Amino acid sequence: MRRLLIFFSCISVLGGVGVIVDSRATDVFLEATRPDFQKIPIAVWHFQNGAGPVQHGGRIEQVLKADLRRSLVFSLMDLPSLGIKVADVAPPEKAILKQAADNGVSVVVWGKAGFKEGDKDAEVVMDGFVYDAGNDDVVGGKRYVGSSTVVRLMAHRFADELVFRYTGEPGIARTKIAYVSEQGAARELFVMDYDGYEPKQITADGFLNLMPRWSPDRRFLVFTAYRNRNTQDIDMIELATGKRWTLVALPGLNITPAFSPDGNFLAFATSQDGNSEIYTLDTRSKKFQRLTVNAGGDLSPSWSTTGRELVFTSDRGGAPQLYLMGADGSNVRRLTFEGDYNAAPAWSPRGNWIAYVCRTQKKEYKLCLITPDGQKRVQLTSGPGVDDSPSWSPDGRHVVFSSTADGKSQIYMINADGKDLERLTFVGTHNSAPAWSPAS
Amino acid sequence: MQTIQARNGRSPLAAIAVAAVAGFLIVGGFGCSKKTVQSGGDVRSSEAGAAKAGGGIGGGDTRAGDTGGSGTPGGGMAGSGTPGGGVGGVSPSFPDTTIASHSQRGQEPATEGLRGLDSVAEGKSPAGERLGSGGTVVAKAEPGSAARHIEEMRREQAATAAAGLKDVFFAFDSWTITEDGRQALISDADWIKANGSANVKIEGHCDERGTQAYNLVLGEKRAKAVRNYLVELGVAANRLSVVSYGKERPFCRDHAESCYQQNRRGHIVVRSK
Repeated sequence: MRRLLIFFSCISVLGGVGVIVDSRATDVFLEATRPDFQKIPIAVWHFQNGAGPVQHGGRIEQVLKADLRRSLVFSLMDLPSLGIKVADVAPPEKAILKQAADNGVSVVVWGKAGFKEGDKDAEVVMDGFVYDAGNDDVVGGKRYVGSSTVVRLMAHRFADELVFRYTGEPGIARTKIAYVSEQGAARELFVMDYDGYEPKQITADGFLNLMPRWSPDRRFLVFTAYRNRNTQDIDMIELATGKRWTLVALPGLNITPAFSPDGNFLAFATSQDGNSEIYTLDTRSKKFQRLTVNAGGDLSPSWSTTGRELVFTSDRGGAPQLYLMGADGSNVRRLTFEGDYNAAPAWSPRGNWIAYVCRTQKKEYKLCLITPDGQKRVQLTSGPGVDDSPSWSPDGRHVVFSSTADGKSQIYMINADGKDLERLTFVGTHNSAPAWSPAS
Repeated sequence: MQTIQARNGRSPLAAIAVAAVAGFLIVGGFGCSKKTVQSGGDVRSSEAGAAKAGGGIGGGDTRAGDTGGSGTPGGGMAGSGTPGGGVGGVSPSFPDTTIASHSQRGQEPATEGLRGLDSVAEGKSPAGERLGSGGTVVAKAEPGSAARHIEEMRREQAATAAAGLKDVFFAFDSWTITEDGRQALISDADWIKANGSANVKIEGHCDERGTQAYNLVLGEKRAKAVRNYLVELGVAANRLSVVSYGKERPFCRDHAESCYQQNRRGHIVVRSK
């Protein structure tokens, strides 16, 4: 039975591969991690609502299940569909756990959450327990204490602890997404949780702030700021304090900043030379280095995981295409040859794919993936609307992007295998330019 | 004013280059100018630009003019606009962004905060972990900031309308000035030359198709194509500034060609003083 379940989960991974554009790439396996990766069957037993009128247990159970599903490390099993009746008792009886194990479930978690009894500040306490079906024992647990504003965070932390325990990876449930949101006539920076909840406004300049990117330590955002409607600078803001610095104020366009993985360099595009060229700023010496020299527009640099290479957009050949070069500007070569518009590249944190915006034969702007050696290329999204600004989750398993598929520009995420398209923003006239934070 | 000149990069050398290119274009005629305009609208030599990149753009005073009165949320503009000591347009003092600085400061590695599951004795609760709110400061909106931008734009619009300046429209993916565009710019150039105290801003705009980033570059190419044509028509380059808004400030928001063509625009604006 268990072998059968694993077999089915393999099929579901393969079945979700996006439209394969390159006929040579029929054997592309798009699970963004190791091809032999098997998801761990996990089930969440009913979370009890503890003391207090608020149903915190149910809320945490809901958030936790969504986190486990999005982790792509676990396969979330539905107990009722395995013939196991879920009741409001915790912990679940041994017979129930054995029944789950017999049905291929490896891990069962349960817990409770409610106000701390006798606490006049009404702090919330969440207890979570992990049961290993193979060992017939409680593996461990967590207790979180905090105000009612951090209840979602409790679920996120617990999910990441589970991912960490079973993979050694930090998980993505506590990551954030920075983005641009229209506020009246202005566009300002916001940060939200990776699941679209808890949006917080970061800037309030009243005009245009564009295309944020995170520092590798998650302390700062860099972005293009129009300070006075006539000039663009690259600014940096510290999220914990709101402090702000101008990093690049060269004449002309100063756009598409991106920190190197070690934070030692900021790559960006400036038009101080007349047309847009890519430079780096050494964040220690504060010195600029020019990387590209040609008559076309060069922009949107994105670093490889090692920091040794950059992928970028250039229209030096007429139409925008992706190019690669060394971090010192050497060894420039063209990466994309299909289609007449390929732009906004984002190098996966796992290094194996570059996501970008491709214009299809139907003149639609969709997301594509290409390997850094150019050998495999797939179209990741399809349908109506302009897709833009792909940004990878730090685990390399998801891409967040903006799309006008539902009319106004909103933010969506999709698995790197083309499955589980999920809309993250629902409010407002325009949300765009998402940037996924590094893991914490 | 000093700021405007610095931002537009009119060093004496560049000014000579502008004059030389303009002169060449006039000699070469319109057939040639079209090609030059499409090739990116550059009038500065890359050598001059490269020298600037290494040597800086004249210190912090260029920034001081820009930040003055532009308003910053939270009042935290530490290090920006600092006169003196600026290296080529970069703020001389921004904090360390390197990952290496973390180990020096003794901060946590990538799995920050995750402590692993606690062991749980039969019938007991795990050890507690207290969670804070995460430490993101929410921006304090500056009440006057958006209103000031709107008021200034309203004044610019009024002045532009009074001057009767005409915009230039572009084909999809193109920054070539069309025949209609040339006629509009001939009329605009006459007004600019006749109104010697006015400074004019050329905004480059794009339709919603394509990426935000590439449309900023495309918008700048359009704005510079307009500027270069006005210079060909005899307008002094130092009275013209360019800015690209890409697809970020559309005139029309429908997903239709009738709307797109309104947004592929070189928008001519009389700058507020």
